Amino acid sequence: MGGFNKTNITKGIHLYYIPTDKFKTFTVSIYIHQPLNKENATKNALLPQVLKRGSIDFPTSQDIARYLEELYGAVFDCGIVKKGENQIIRFNFETIEDTYVDQGEGLLQKTMKLAKQIVFEPLIENERFKKEYVEQEKQNLKNQIEGLINNKMSYAVERCYQEMCSNENFGIYELGSVEDLNTIDEKILYEHYLTVIHNSPIDIFVTGSISEDKVKQMVQNLFHITMDSNPVYPTTEIVSQVGEVKKVYEPMKVAQGKLSLGFRTKIAPTDKEYYPLVIFNGLFGGGPHSKLFNNVREKLSLAYYVFSRLEKFKGLMVVSSGIEPENYQKAFDEIMFQFEEIKKGNITDAEFDATINSAVNSIRSLADTAFYMEDYYLSQLVGGTNDDFEDLISKLSSVTKEDVVAVAQNIQLDTVYFLSNKEA
Amino acid sequence: MNLQEKYHSELKETLYHGVHKSGLNVYVLPKKGYSKSYAIFGTRYGSIDSKFIVPGEKEVTEVPDGIAHFLEHKLFEEEEGNVFDRFSKYGASANAFTSFTTTAYLFSCTDHFYDNLSILLDFVQNPYFTEENVQKEQGIIGQEIRMYDDDPNWRVYFNFLDALYHHHPVKIDIAGTVESISQINKDILYKCYHTFYHPSNMILFTAGDIEPNKVAEYVESHIKATEPYQEEIRRVYPEEPQTVSKQKVEQNLSVSIPLFQAGFKDTDVGYGGDKLLKKDIITRIVLEMIMGKSTRLYQSLYEQGLINDSFDIDYTAEISYGFSVFGGESPNPEKVQQEVINEIQRLSRDGLNKNEFERIKKVIFGRFLRQFNSVEAVSNNFMSTLFKEMNLFNYVDIYRSITFDDVQKRFTEHFNPDNMVLSVVRPYEG
Repeated sequence: MGGFNKTNITKGIHLYYIPTDKFKTFTVSIYIHQPLNKENATKNALLPQVLKRGSIDFPTSQDIARYLEELYGAVFDCGIVKKGENQIIRFNFETIEDTYVDQGEGLLQKTMKLAKQIVFEPLIENERFKKEYVEQEKQNLKNQIEGLINNKMSYAVERCYQEMCSNENFGIYELGSVEDLNTIDEKILYEHYLTVIHNSPIDIFVTGSISEDKVKQMVQNLFHITMDSNPVYPTTEIVSQVGEVKKVYEPMKVAQGKLSLGFRTKIAPTDKEYYPLVIFNGLFGGGPHSKLFNNVREKLSLAYYVFSRLEKFKGLMVVSSGIEPENYQKAFDEIMFQFEEIKKGNITDAEFDATINSAVNSIRSLADTAFYMEDYYLSQLVGGTNDDFEDLISKLSSVTKEDVVAVAQNIQLDTVYFLSNKEA
Repeated sequence: MNLQEKYHSELKETLYHGVHKSGLNVYVLPKKGYSKSYAIFGTRYGSIDSKFIVPGEKEVTEVPDGIAHFLEHKLFEEEEGNVFDRFSKYGASANAFTSFTTTAYLFSCTDHFYDNLSILLDFVQNPYFTEENVQKEQGIIGQEIRMYDDDPNWRVYFNFLDALYHHHPVKIDIAGTVESISQINKDILYKCYHTFYHPSNMILFTAGDIEPNKVAEYVESHIKATEPYQEEIRRVYPEEPQTVSKQKVEQNLSVSIPLFQAGFKDTDVGYGGDKLLKKDIITRIVLEMIMGKSTRLYQSLYEQGLINDSFDIDYTAEISYGFSVFGGESPNPEKVQQEVINEIQRLSRDGLNKNEFERIKKVIFGRFLRQFNSVEAVSNNFMSTLFKEMNLFNYVDIYRSITFDDVQKRFTEHFNPDNMVLSVVRPYEG
């Protein structure tokens, strides 16, 4: 279990088909890869929002909504995924298998056709998108960008990354900026759309129970786009130079302080050190078996949540926690103390085994959710690796404590970010 | 323990059910080909159960708010340490949650399912509370409460419930307050534990590529052979008027745009079973017909910029309470509410559309079916509905029996603007 079949549909477009018969649904997804940069980030983020408003055959969102309902409430969602300095425009669909409804309705075929129409046959007026849609979606995107603040936990992590990578493309927010939104209109956006569609690697994922030939044929009949060039995946720059630790304090009216610590791992997913790094992160703050959970939370009662998480494409790690503002120093010291503990090799066998087993468990669990499997393979493509589930499991299982201690020596604290109602 | 097997031909699923001599109901839903196996062990005991009469006693016991949730946290502690450590050994991912009506302990794993099941059954049956470990938890839960204080989606929802109800305890936060949890001690915890964690008040639901008979064996060897309760636990809820407590409630938080939740109080309550399941499905159909994505109301609100993709609708059907709710972000929640009222009045005049009814029914079926993709989702949903004496294997039949008349009737009864509440969280001024 856990493999996929890759087919080249046309120059730049690939089909990834994941055969499985355990689900009651099919999924169809389209991923368009763009480099994350200031010039295009906001335009890229606006694109799916405008495309979802209407196509030639379904000119209004009401038409699309009705059609999805006819397909037994097929699910359609779109937006942006950020992986390193890769800004991926995503369109995800899910539809139930025909065997669960009275007549053979060809639900997969219909859903795939709708996907194609939304992405490749948008509603155009005079060589531009419909003005009304663009204006409304600019407002919606503005609200979304500003709305990052509504979720303090993700806000504090995002702000830490932004401060840490203020001179790198990674520091650009995945939805762009309000300032850049003002420079976009329906003509500029349509021109951008044409460039994106003809110059970006496009991945189509299908999961479900259908023969490979059939799905290949379906996709080949629907998608025939001419690419201007042979597009390649965007790359991500990994920074190894770390200067003095940057400290950022942001005041806000909040009940709980949010502490984020940004680290540079200096490790790319293609490096052999990547596998020990995954285990390092698990040991440090990757769940209830981790050092952070057991010490910051269970032993010192400083937090309800505290975890560490890797951004594997960019070589970053962030620690995130919610604490009483006056406990800032205590929490910071304990997090750094636990970091030093790993560097010194103070790792018990129980901790180490639990970390490996937990990593194996989460990888195997991916196979039970179609969109998680897609995301896993998408990450392999973006990261330039080619591990299937079992490859990754075997590489992680062979990591030793010494490997973990070795990678830990190079991980460096870069930025400390604190959101709070009073200065620390 | 004998298991009964039931095959559902439309869902293509088989459900096994048995009752242990202690009164524990046990279910197994085999999912061939799944990597993950899942078990959830829950008690019909939630945040609303803070006043009750223990079977065999006469006096009403009243306990501090937030105790069910506190108990959930504390059960993970054992004399030898933390239960997480035992699950971690097998790589299992364990967790728990407390809702208004249920407390549940769960794990998922891709290996050693029966070892993990033993841990689950054992730790939930073995409380270990001390004054020290109770005190330690007050700090952690205090931070959990603080986290929710800053969460606008959580606040707007709980303010909504507070305004909807005069007295019903669903108006109180599940975790209680820093003040209420400071009154909790080990004796109160034991009393609640011994009342509500009796196997006859509990359900074990398992799903995955597992063997029903083996699950039954493990239950036999791990569940203590106590006698089932001879009488019910009497849950004491205050008399709740039919009206709403407040029509509007507002709070300021650090947000960029107002968030709102609005909805209607259900006055047709007090029953569970198939009747409740039917009401649940009907109400969801009506909600979709009034303000689902394909309606003219939704489209008009969206085009005016009054709602965005965060807009969501839901219905909650419990035995002692119920409400429909809709909300999201909006620059002008009052205007959204007014337009919803106008549309309800228009639909009352012009009538609902039968074609739309047929189309929405398809959506409801697709949604129901999809949850069987996830061992977690399907198990959690089975458990919470079983506590309301519903069985999801009856869902398709009940769903089929729903007529356009049912929907029209429910529309007239439930969507009454007098029984409506608007809750708003706004940015701080200046």
